[in-house]
Amino acid sequence: MTAGTLTSVTAERLGEASPQLLAPAGTPWEKVSETTVSLAPTPLDAQPSAYVRTSWAGRPHGALANVGLSAVVAGDALYVRLRWAAPEPRQAITDNDTYADACAVLFPLDGKSAELATMGDEQSPVQAWHWRAGTALPFVITATGLGTVSRVPNHPVSVGAAWDSGSWSVVFKRGLGEQGVPLAAGASVPLGIAVWSGSNSERAGIKAHTPAWITLKLPK
Amino acid sequence: MATVSSRPARQLAMVFDLNKCLGCQSCSIACKTLWTDAPGMESMWWNIVNTMPGGGTPKNVFSHGGGYKNGEPVPGTFPPLREFGEAWGFDHEATFSSGGKAAFHPLERDGSSPEWGPNWDEDMGGGQYPNSYFFYLQQICANCSKPACLEACPRTALYRREEDGIILIDEERCHGYRFCAEACPYKRIYFNPGRAVAQKCIACYPRLEAGVAPACVRQCPGRVRHVDYMDNREGHPYKLVHEWKVALPLRPDFGTEPNVFYVPPLAPPAFNEAGEFDETKPRIPDEYLREMFGPGVEKALETIQVEREKAARGEPSELIDILIARDWNDLLGPFTTNPAELDRPPRVS
Ligand code: SF4
Ligand code: SF4
Repeated sequence: MTAGTLTSVTAERLGEASPQLLAPAGTPWEKVSETTVSLAPTPLDAQPSAYVRTSWAGRPHGALANVGLSAVVAGDALYVRLRWAAPEPRQAITDNDTYADACAVLFPLDGKSAELATMGDEQSPVQAWHWRAGTALPFVITATGLGTVSRVPNHPVSVGAAWDSGSWSVVFKRGLGEQGVPLAAGASVPLGIAVWSGSNSERAGIKAHTPAWITLKLPK
Repeated sequence: MATVSSRPARQLAMVFDLNKCLGCQSCSIACKTLWTDAPGMESMWWNIVNTMPGGGTPKNVFSHGGGYKNGEPVPGTFPPLREFGEAWGFDHEATFSSGGKAAFHPLERDGSSPEWGPNWDEDMGGGQYPNSYFFYLQQICANCSKPACLEACPRTALYRREEDGIILIDEERCHGYRFCAEACPYKRIYFNPGRAVAQKCIACYPRLEAGVAPACVRQCPGRVRHVDYMDNREGHPYKLVHEWKVALPLRPDFGTEPNVFYVPPLAPPAFNEAGEFDETKPRIPDEYLREMFGPGVEKALETIQVEREKAARGEPSELIDILIARDWNDLLGPFTTNPAELDRPPRVS
């Protein structure tokens, strides 16, 4: 792992697409390097609901300090893997007052630029691939600002997730040419990460995130 | 930002008369069979009737925070399913084959004994014999004018209908965050764990759109429930709330300005030690009624008492006529269509 503040990650080219890549502990990943990305709690005063601001005042959130990021292009698909420590995993929603662990990767919808802190704006929307423990399919969402999140129906993103020995590993896959964020060979795409700790009732804007974009470089 | 500053063009309102409720739960069953009999909805009673004073549904219903204090949102909690009570099962086989030895005991879905459920402390109430008392309290979503649920949602998944002020949850937008359920001080939002969405009373809006009263209203044998738009000055809600001032919001201190109002319970006076009525002592403590229905409750009870006595003397009383509802269609406001006479029953897709 590379320590310190990270500004860019290069996706490695890995031959043909393989179903094993969607298994987060699948053997192809053993050869892929992993970069440590620092996370920080989201600012509470930016939450779009007075109730959320009030009910979380003085309650710590987003305590997860970092996440391991790996990216691979295999065949014509991008695979992004996140790994993080979750000693008390919440693998599903089991009751009214329990919350599942979750993670997301975020991009400017045009693959070029958007405001990360506000989750985009009217002119520059963002798109996220969102996984929640206990669900087989990821959600793909777009937003034009905090509180404007809406789901994209029939999206081309798939996910594989596993919890093992105190850590979650989650792999997102999307075909490079498919609908959504442009992922052209050789392009550099800004990427953000968010992780929600279910054991701390984290959901919505209450999360750990990358306060600034990371550049994801796609191989030629 | 998810705040609601303007009022809708029209507001649907209901009045429930606590002096007439039988505690029969016909309303609860009417709602359950119509809307919440699908998997994932086992714990849901969008309409529920509880004995008061009592724990309510969920357990200790009014002590989970939410609502507003001085205009600021109050943090709340969302009690676990066991405190609502899931759908119980009964082991009929054991009961009928044990020669009367097995208790007819309900079981939770996981086989454990229930710890709470709808109207759990039925008919226990408060006070000491001979001055014990209770009343039944019906609860549905009150489609509040300051809906804490809607304002709490960071995803604007809840919205208010302009045509009748009904608050609905857009299940396409809901991501199961449950801030709404924490923020509702009446605990009228439920969670569907299978679909990871919040669900609540929809005021039977598909029926309203077909001119049919909500199921809980139409099925009530006690003629407890009055419904109309609040802007209809001839309607029962307007007359009972604004003219006669005998219908009051529940727990107005929660600050959400609910649009369901209650005619407070008028109990006989307390007995003294000689076993006679002591006209100076109310059976139901004033403080309790003030806590439940606000400072207008004593005046409201006085008005009802005066009008009752008038009616008893054979004098006309508009108030008592409204409350009696000799023609039950009068309870239904503009929603008098008989659903059996519609071409087909209204459905939500
Ligand atoms: S009763 Fe609760 S759920 Fe219904 S509108 Fe009021 S705050 Fe919202
Ligand atoms: S149906 Fe009417 S009388 Fe029966 S419990 Fe409901 S409100 Fe009370």
